[in-house]
Amino acid sequence: MADIAVHDLSKVYRSKAHPDGLLALDRISLAVADHQFVCLLGPSGCGKSTVLNVLSGLDQHYTGEVRVAGAVVSRSNAHPFRVGYVFQEPRLLPWLTVRGNIEFALESAGIPKSEWSERINGWLGRVGLRDFAEVHPHELSGGMQQRTSIARAFAIDPEILLMDEPFSGLDELTARSMRELLLGIWLETRKTVIFVTHNCFEACFLADRIAVFAPRPGRIKQEFTVDLGRPRDYEDPRLFEMSVKVTHFVTGKLAA
Amino acid sequence: MTSQATQGAMPAPRARGWRRLPESVWIRVLSLLALLVVWQLASMAFTERYVPGPWNTFAAMGELVQSGEIPRHFTFTMTRMLSSFAIAMSIGTVLGTVMGLYRRGEQMLDMWVMVGLTIPSLCYIIVAFMWLGLNDRGAVLAIAWTTFPSIAINIWQGVKAIDQRLIDMARVFRCSGTRRILTVVIPQVLPYLMAAARFGLGVVWKVTVFVEVLGGSDGVGYMLNYSFQMFNMTDVFAWTIFFTIVMLGIELLILKPIENRLFSWRPDIRA
Repeated sequence: MADIAVHDLSKVYRSKAHPDGLLALDRISLAVADHQFVCLLGPSGCGKSTVLNVLSGLDQHYTGEVRVAGAVVSRSNAHPFRVGYVFQEPRLLPWLTVRGNIEFALESAGIPKSEWSERINGWLGRVGLRDFAEVHPHELSGGMQQRTSIARAFAIDPEILLMDEPFSGLDELTARSMRELLLGIWLETRKTVIFVTHNCFEACFLADRIAVFAPRPGRIKQEFTVDLGRPRDYEDPRLFEMSVKVTHFVTGKLAA
Repeated sequence: MTSQATQGAMPAPRARGWRRLPESVWIRVLSLLALLVVWQLASMAFTERYVPGPWNTFAAMGELVQSGEIPRHFTFTMTRMLSSFAIAMSIGTVLGTVMGLYRRGEQMLDMWVMVGLTIPSLCYIIVAFMWLGLNDRGAVLAIAWTTFPSIAINIWQGVKAIDQRLIDMARVFRCSGTRRILTVVIPQVLPYLMAAARFGLGVVWKVTVFVEVLGGSDGVGYMLNYSFQMFNMTDVFAWTIFFTIVMLGIELLILKPIENRLFSWRPDIRA
């Protein structure tokens, strides 16, 4: 079981511009069941990424309760569960090869060395980088770097997978094929995923549920359930309909 | 790569001997020859007394090697140079790291490091000699003092440039603190450390000779000064050339190989 339970999560940022503190998250509550794919959707600056930072253990200055698989999230090194994270930028270590970058995550996660090569070859194969294991990141295109970063996240066999606008830096055609790739892998592994995006169509294509965020202060405005079967098809008219509905809600409400 | 391309399908490029040398080497050899010609012409135009020709200079160099003067004085100079370099590098790295990591450290130190950089090295040398006397300790203090601010500045910039996003990545993947330093932080600072070392060595070289001219009783600088007093231009040329050879040797045999090893992943350096 790797469910996520966020209860009354609030976060205040203090800075020179806001000496009294800026309320980034205002009592967010969100429950994600095991094996569920949830998208956090909203414009930038509404605290979506902050939620991921708290869940990953990077940000520990918050109020409220955050549990993953029943355990309270505290210092990242003491996590009883493994987190896979795909950032907006690939965040690969440029001095390591593709293989070295995945090994870095495997070693950090305490995966026994005997399993490394099987896992690395398996995951590189699944993301289509079988022949690129010994290549350095700068020799790869942006899409291939992000594939490496996805392979790295899945290779540690995480309990939960956090994705922070992972395809927003790619061109739309690459992003499309990456979404299909991700869904394919996800159908196989059924990780619990929280996926941050500002793209309504992407959210509808990927998610079981969508939590729409609103800014100032960051809060969840509305939740949508995406009742579409899997595997999903880009051309599905129901997907388009759903996406229009969500887009109307997001733009309408936020413009008011 | 160019040499292989010009040979086409030759199976054993080794067999071709000197023809294997790439074009860049040829151009360098050619420029060296051109320099020798210009040197010889200048010597003929201005007489041997003011511009000793290459052959006389090489003869003087041979004599200096045979007499044992070269190894003796270079040992003195190198010892001073390396010990003050080690001191300057240690102090510079510590200060630079403190300035890069802590805002308060930066506010406290940045002005003084800048001031330290602008004060002429002659001032440090005179002060060091007045404190410690005209001896090796004074010399090493003077050299290290002149050198450490520039090293500190390089390291400071390097530490400031550390990409926090990569550190966050490592933390999310639960990389332990020590491994995070070794595999994520230090590789980011290494290029700056290397630049600091190279820059520092350049300063140390010049200042060491300067210090030896002013207050040495041995070393390359002292011998240069001695040749100057004797108005022996041939020896001045000979010592300068030896000095250049040793500097090039350090660059090509120590610094370059280290750099190639450390940064082989970087496209610009591998090329």
